[in-house]
Amino acid sequence: MKGKVGILLAMVVLFGVIASGCIGSQESSETETTGVELTGDFTKDILAIGRTLESNGINEVKFSAWGSGDPNSVMRVYGIVEAARRINKVWEENEVNVKITITDIHYVASFQDAYQEYLSKQPLGQAGDFFVNSYAFLPTLADEGYILDITEYANAYQNVIDDFYPSLIEASKFNDKLYGLPQDTEARPLYIRKDVAAKIGFNLEGIEEKVKNGEFTWSDVYYWAKKAKESGAAEWGLIHRKGSAHPDLIQFIYAFGGKLYNEESGKLVVDVPAVYKWLYVEWKFAQDGLLPKDIMSWDWAKQIHPAIVEGRTLFDIGGTWYWTEWQTKDYYGKEGTPRPLKPEEVQAWFTYTLFPAGEKGLKPVTLSQPFVWMINSKAGQQNPKYDELKDLYHKLAFLMVIKASDPDINAIHSVISAHLPVRKEAAELISNEKWLDDLKSLSIDLDPQVKSNIKDIVATTVHPINAKFLADVSYMLEYTKLAPAHPKYPALADIFKEAVDKVLRGDMTPEEGVNYIIQKVNADPELAQNVEVVGEIPKDWTLQ
Amino acid sequence: MRDVETRPKKGEWIIVFTILFASLPLILGFALLVISSFSKDMVTNLSLSSFRPTIENWINVFQGKLAITGGIRQNILKITLNTLVVALGVSGIVTLISTLAGYSLSRMKFRGRKLMMLLLLMLHAFPGVALIVGVYLLYRLTFPQEPSFVRLYSFFYVILARAALEIPMSVWLMKGFFDTIPWELEWSGIIDGASRIKVWRQIMLPLIKPGILAVALFGFLAGWQDLIYVRTFLIDQTLATFIEANIEAEYSHMPLIAAAGTLYLLPTIIFFLTAQQLLLQSYSGGIKG
Repeated sequence: MKGKVGILLAMVVLFGVIASGCIGSQESSETETTGVELTGDFTKDILAIGRTLESNGINEVKFSAWGSGDPNSVMRVYGIVEAARRINKVWEENEVNVKITITDIHYVASFQDAYQEYLSKQPLGQAGDFFVNSYAFLPTLADEGYILDITEYANAYQNVIDDFYPSLIEASKFNDKLYGLPQDTEARPLYIRKDVAAKIGFNLEGIEEKVKNGEFTWSDVYYWAKKAKESGAAEWGLIHRKGSAHPDLIQFIYAFGGKLYNEESGKLVVDVPAVYKWLYVEWKFAQDGLLPKDIMSWDWAKQIHPAIVEGRTLFDIGGTWYWTEWQTKDYYGKEGTPRPLKPEEVQAWFTYTLFPAGEKGLKPVTLSQPFVWMINSKAGQQNPKYDELKDLYHKLAFLMVIKASDPDINAIHSVISAHLPVRKEAAELISNEKWLDDLKSLSIDLDPQVKSNIKDIVATTVHPINAKFLADVSYMLEYTKLAPAHPKYPALADIFKEAVDKVLRGDMTPEEGVNYIIQKVNADPELAQNVEVVGEIPKDWTLQ
Repeated sequence: MRDVETRPKKGEWIIVFTILFASLPLILGFALLVISSFSKDMVTNLSLSSFRPTIENWINVFQGKLAITGGIRQNILKITLNTLVVALGVSGIVTLISTLAGYSLSRMKFRGRKLMMLLLLMLHAFPGVALIVGVYLLYRLTFPQEPSFVRLYSFFYVILARAALEIPMSVWLMKGFFDTIPWELEWSGIIDGASRIKVWRQIMLPLIKPGILAVALFGFLAGWQDLIYVRTFLIDQTLATFIEANIEAEYSHMPLIAAAGTLYLLPTIIFFLTAQQLLLQSYSGGIKG
């Protein structure tokens, strides 16, 4: 009997070894080069690739595009469809008998789910060839070898790379190598209700400059919020977002001069003085009835957005995309039946600034979470002769991303989704009235399928007021901070969220909140290894 | 004289009330989901003030839209069809294998029969999530190199993998059903010259129809509801993965998700409404010979 068990065990081990060998061998298959080198001249490169494909008997190249986000951000995948059409046109005009077909468009709302799905399907060769998602996932995907290193390809296209905002290109790198191209980004302004401000004599003239210079700080926000509440001009002084995935509240740490990541040690940081001041602000606002104590459990559609658009608060911490979201969803119910706001109403009721500095002498901030086009390291796998032509397929995929980053495609995405353009040329385009008119009437050179699918978004969102808003807030990118792209950051952000909730509800003082964060970090050995706790709780600090 | 199995009528309402009270959260949850699917806003509390009737959500769902403006149009019929293929596939395989295996275990004596029955019980104890690493490894080893077959193969594999989780319990259930049928019926068939397979097909199966139906329906629901295996192995979306991927509180138009959720619930509701008598019959001890 023992002998049989031994044989069985040996067979299982042998099977395991063979299995792991088989899997390994699939991963490490070497490819031949095709001889096409990228020159930086797009048409020339695309023709060279097309002709080489044709000479290898390939007449159709299949790619799939995966993306995620809010419903207005569909250009994240349609950009790829449009890039394919533009490349096909070049080939057609030059009598190259090759065509790119986008076989599968996969677009879901949850970007975390999209990432999880990519993680499980990429090793099987079933993930999208193009993957657009938050920069936060890029280091892990790059480290796993799941996305393509495009550093060398990008060197040939330095002129295009130079047109992107440098901080966004930096966010697309891992270990000094480029793994993607920025697709969009955003800022998180502090919105101020003009009508409520007028009622309490809060002069908003020059507020942007005052915030920029650090003259208007969170002490001033508190002062005016209290005045709005006490005078009965508004039900609340401040409304903010909720949840740990949203980095809005993390802005407080930067506004109080703190940091979240130590580049030297590669560890996350709990900056005790900054975190204490953040929790103090939350606690003070909630204790004085300026901010709902239970805001972290408020409903987005029924409580948070209606409170803002109906003028029941003076201040709101939100995102640039709120601007068009308020125009597309039925949040405004003051007149009875809820309806969306008109562009003119949004413009008349709201002004916007950077997130003010925590204290005098510090700087204002904003926070971005750029989305990045990433290319699957197995891009083109569903095509014939993949092993021989792998390099060619990869270069073609890169050129598609270059094309999908055309200023007009990027500008369309910005206007219809209220995200900020990632290229300077695109930023110029959204200020161009004629171009906006053409977009409004859809008299632009665009794939018919894409046109038909964005028709209703264009009708609702393309408006000079919205374009002006985007142009107005673009300067915020100069002040932008990024949440750390560290695999343990989500766990730390969750702890921050719990502490904020407890402090808001009055279950903990700010000091207890800080200690709670430290205890929770230390209770998780893996997290404790990745987090540094620095500084002391400041003595007698108050919000003036 | 009172029958030991009947209760006094006057106490009955207490039991009914208790059962209703205990199931209230569940009933309320489903009721709010269905109501919300016909409303412009989610009805998430007991006041119906946020109920603004509309059938727009259902129209949008059937058009494959999950947002009022924007979003990608999904082919919802194809997604429903994918779900149906997986569910019917799982159901078919589970029914076929469990009726054959249940019969063998009930009627035939062979070496290792007892061990096999014990192992089947053990297999049932393993949760699907715990097995997924091994199942994933097997998938990586077996999926075809030819890209055009991968999509088809992913269906085949997910059906097999999901059915494998259901088979142990179904075999036990079927064995129970076969055990209730008297030997005499089978003997008479064999004496008349029928083979064992003919006896199984022409005599035994018609007698355990409720059991077959129960196993088939549970197999169907297992396939219809599966999320983890489908998300891991299937290239195409099913209703479960489609709904899951589109629930993002801030972005999604929740009443539309509610409509998609109600659509997803329909087969379960239809199943329990139509088959409850039959199921009760099969659960209460099977069939008399």
